[in-house]
Amino acid sequence: MLVSSAALEDALAAADELASAAATGNTERVGILLQDGVDVNAVNRFGRTPLQVMMMGSTAVAHLLLKHGANPNVSDCHTGATPLHDAAREGFLETVQILVQFYANKNATDNRNCRPIDVARENGHLEVVSYLESL
Amino acid sequence: MAQESGVQYEPVAEIGGGAYGTVYKARDRQSGQFVALKSVRVQTDQDGLPLSTVREVALLKRLEQFDHPNVVKLMDVCATLRTDQETKVTLVFEHVDQDLKTYLNKAPAPGLPSSQIQDLMRQLLCGLAFLHSNRIVHRDLKPENILVTSRGQVKLADFGLARIYSCHMALTPVVVTLWYRAPEVLLQSTYATPVDIWSTGCIFAEMFRRKPLFCGESEVDQLGKIFQVIGLPVEEEWPADVKLKQHNFSQLSPHGPCPITEVVPEISHQGAELLLEMLTFDPLRRISALNALDHPYFQEG
Repeated sequence: MLVSSAALEDALAAADELASAAATGNTERVGILLQDGVDVNAVNRFGRTPLQVMMMGSTAVAHLLLKHGANPNVSDCHTGATPLHDAAREGFLETVQILVQFYANKNATDNRNCRPIDVARENGHLEVVSYLESL
Repeated sequence: MAQESGVQYEPVAEIGGGAYGTVYKARDRQSGQFVALKSVRVQTDQDGLPLSTVREVALLKRLEQFDHPNVVKLMDVCATLRTDQETKVTLVFEHVDQDLKTYLNKAPAPGLPSSQIQDLMRQLLCGLAFLHSNRIVHRDLKPENILVTSRGQVKLADFGLARIYSCHMALTPVVVTLWYRAPEVLLQSTYATPVDIWSTGCIFAEMFRRKPLFCGESEVDQLGKIFQVIGLPVEEEWPADVKLKQHNFSQLSPHGPCPITEVVPEISHQGAELLLEMLTFDPLRRISALNALDHPYFQEG
């Protein structure tokens, strides 16, 4: 199949925009771009999906991306962290819960061989620790 | 300043931009944590970086030694030579993955409890008093650059860059929100630390209302919306050196101020008093961050 380079550039620009909207917690913009058919799992020019770079405290963005089929089990190419690791490190309990609800793997390990629960404990987020323990 | 920023900090998404440079969310590969990279391109000659840039960066680094809980940490500064005439200065800040806008939107109906608003306001004013005592004017305070950690700790971001950026920003108009702008800024009069108190007042009201207080679409429209609430200032209070005159607005707001509890219904009596002291037209009579912290509103509860 032939794909023009212009079309590829357009797709990358759209992926960039969706990732940036997710990273700034702009729920409205994320919604519009998804409605316009931008691929929820497309990587931006830094090789990351919107879920990987989203504003972790924004439960609205997390929910919207996951509802549209975002893969919760992508890991960072350099640290091995999944979005669940990142939400756990920063202590955003509700985001952790949404990720788990959409089948994020609670036993995923990063490059240091840490699970999300280990990262939460390391940073003193006890509510996140007890939630992940309860699963 | 370190010479290379590319290795330790890896950008993952663009989170802001403008004429002066770009802001990235990035990952610190050593700690695994997210950081914010803010870079600015500055002109250089044989003497290296301009003195003004060096001075501003030095001021930001000096602030760091106080380790204030309510401002984001400056973790690193890197300078990369791009060409003979241009150097990229990158400031590496702590990144908090939640802003006040998101935090307010997340609160279940009917909104934040008043004790929580009081706590957020105290922290916001503490951060601001700290910046002001170091002679830093934020200039662009808004819910998007007031960060809130998962433990509810408020941290101010994006301060102290305005002067580094200013010479570059003049070239390209950047779309900025007017909603938190003080009247003296809208009128293009001289301004100082009181502009941040005005913005804080707008944000205080927004915490109760869960929507912005003054949503103007142009400078004139913004001023009109302000005067509809605080009333049209008297001629004597109007700055002398500005193009827009008081009588240009007499048509818009023929009545005096409207009761503040009409626009912010949930606020307490002391809260309303403090709000009005923040939304005072004359910057010289507007309350300071330090005095606001002493206001009886903070003894409530």
